[in-house]
Amino acid sequence: MPAKLVVDRLSHHYPDEYTGEDVHALDQVSLSVEDGEFSAVVGPSGCGKTTLLNILAGLLPHTEGSVQVDGKEVQGPGPDRGVVFQEHAILPWRTVARNIGHGLEIQGIPKSEREQKVQEFIDLVGLSGFEERYPHELSGGMKQRCALARTLCANPVVMLMDEPFAAVDAQTRITLQEELNRIAIATRKTILFITHNVDEAAFLGDRCFIFSRRPGKLKATVKIDVPREKRIWKDLLSEKAYTDPRDEILRLVREEVFDDEE
Amino acid sequence: MSVLQTASIGLQKRFGRQRLRKILLGTIPFVVLLAMWQMNTAMEWLPPVYIPPMASIWEAIYTLSEGCAGAGAVLSMQYECLFTNHILSSLGRVGLSLVIGIPSGITLGVLAGMSRRFAHALEPIGVFANAISGIAWVPLAIVWFGTGWLTTLFILLNTVFWLIFFNTLLGVRGVPRVYENSVMTMGGGRWAIISQVYIPGALPSIVTGVRMSMGFGWRALIAAEMIGGDSGLGFMIFVSAAEYKIEEVFLGVLVIAIMWMITDRLLLIPLERWTIQRWGMVWRPD
Repeated sequence: MPAKLVVDRLSHHYPDEYTGEDVHALDQVSLSVEDGEFSAVVGPSGCGKTTLLNILAGLLPHTEGSVQVDGKEVQGPGPDRGVVFQEHAILPWRTVARNIGHGLEIQGIPKSEREQKVQEFIDLVGLSGFEERYPHELSGGMKQRCALARTLCANPVVMLMDEPFAAVDAQTRITLQEELNRIAIATRKTILFITHNVDEAAFLGDRCFIFSRRPGKLKATVKIDVPREKRIWKDLLSEKAYTDPRDEILRLVREEVFDDEE
Repeated sequence: MSVLQTASIGLQKRFGRQRLRKILLGTIPFVVLLAMWQMNTAMEWLPPVYIPPMASIWEAIYTLSEGCAGAGAVLSMQYECLFTNHILSSLGRVGLSLVIGIPSGITLGVLAGMSRRFAHALEPIGVFANAISGIAWVPLAIVWFGTGWLTTLFILLNTVFWLIFFNTLLGVRGVPRVYENSVMTMGGGRWAIISQVYIPGALPSIVTGVRMSMGFGWRALIAAEMIGGDSGLGFMIFVSAAEYKIEEVFLGVLVIAIMWMITDRLLLIPLERWTIQRWGMVWRPD
């Protein structure tokens, strides 16, 4: 079966906003994500992770290399790639239910069908009872659940996640990570998850792509062979199948950070 | 329990303690003013040519509406119904300026907020137009349009349009980019972004623009009516003053203030409450 997401020798340059100097953000990145696979991209800050995501989402045009989703070259944003952003990107002027149904609304799905779908995803992310609330009435964790449900509800081929749990507190983050794992089991979505948190990447990813510092290159790929059903924090911390690859990722990432400081 | 206590508890239940206190405090200055006015009449400090007795204001309403045959005549603005005619023509001008000014101001404001080129083209002329206060246009407007509706409407639109345009422009620019991106990645086109992101996102600023333009517009209108009008509350005040009908001048001034308070309370504040306050986009007092 062909991979859902294929990135082939992707490079990206852009002029710096203030100095106008050429910034080399990505250098010959090639990777692929299989159908239903959960992949994580880890790297030090400024390694071009977010640039990569913006290119995959179609928000940033790419000039060198190619990006294909389901065999089609990416040209601009499209509903085949759903994005969960780092900041709370749900619209403050829409209720939870209307935010979650927004993608289907844009696709022109009739209301009755939409409502049914929306309810399904509200239940999936545990927001039942909050359908008619506005985002400002929700906690940070609930906002991100809403954002997740909104992206899932539009049924994208690939879901791209840009450090979605970076802005929530540590307790909430742990819960959200386990929830996301449960949702990944339930929906079998193909996911590319960007993070700088090594534990998070190893906990969630079937495979982790480790990036070097700028210009971002794919430095290594680490597989984590833990079945999804077994990924629960309290059990995993003593599980060698988790700790070994995590330590390996940590070592690879730290090399980049320390190189930077010398 | 006395009747007074029962009544006070009833009122507190109806409005809430905090709100009741707020309303009561707010009425104190008015009560003081009215009391002083009444005392002036009783003590005869200043003669009625300066400060007419309160009762004569009521009489002025009757004098101005003499021969006016009921609601039908008021609505068809028959000549006899002078008092309501002046109110209706002022209100009509404000209404018309909003009907024209809000859609056009928002449309051009959104365009300028979206497109840098458009903004570069329109901003300087906007600053230029805004610098000329409404009243400064009056002499020119009279030369161009004569006295009457066109002149007053022109003055009003000059105030209303530019304020709404600028507020919309700033509002659209302030909408976080991530909302636009998120709608784009769900497959939303330009129209979806305008109607579902830019306009609701700019609404706090647009509502402010509408409130400001109503406030400034109302003032500009009264001034315009005085010099370049042939009807309206401003015109009424001006003509009455020339005829030494001080009670009509007082009446006009009071009506202007009361009408503004009513529009602000019943139209603009509820508008804010139903949109941007519900969305948590403005800081909410109490």
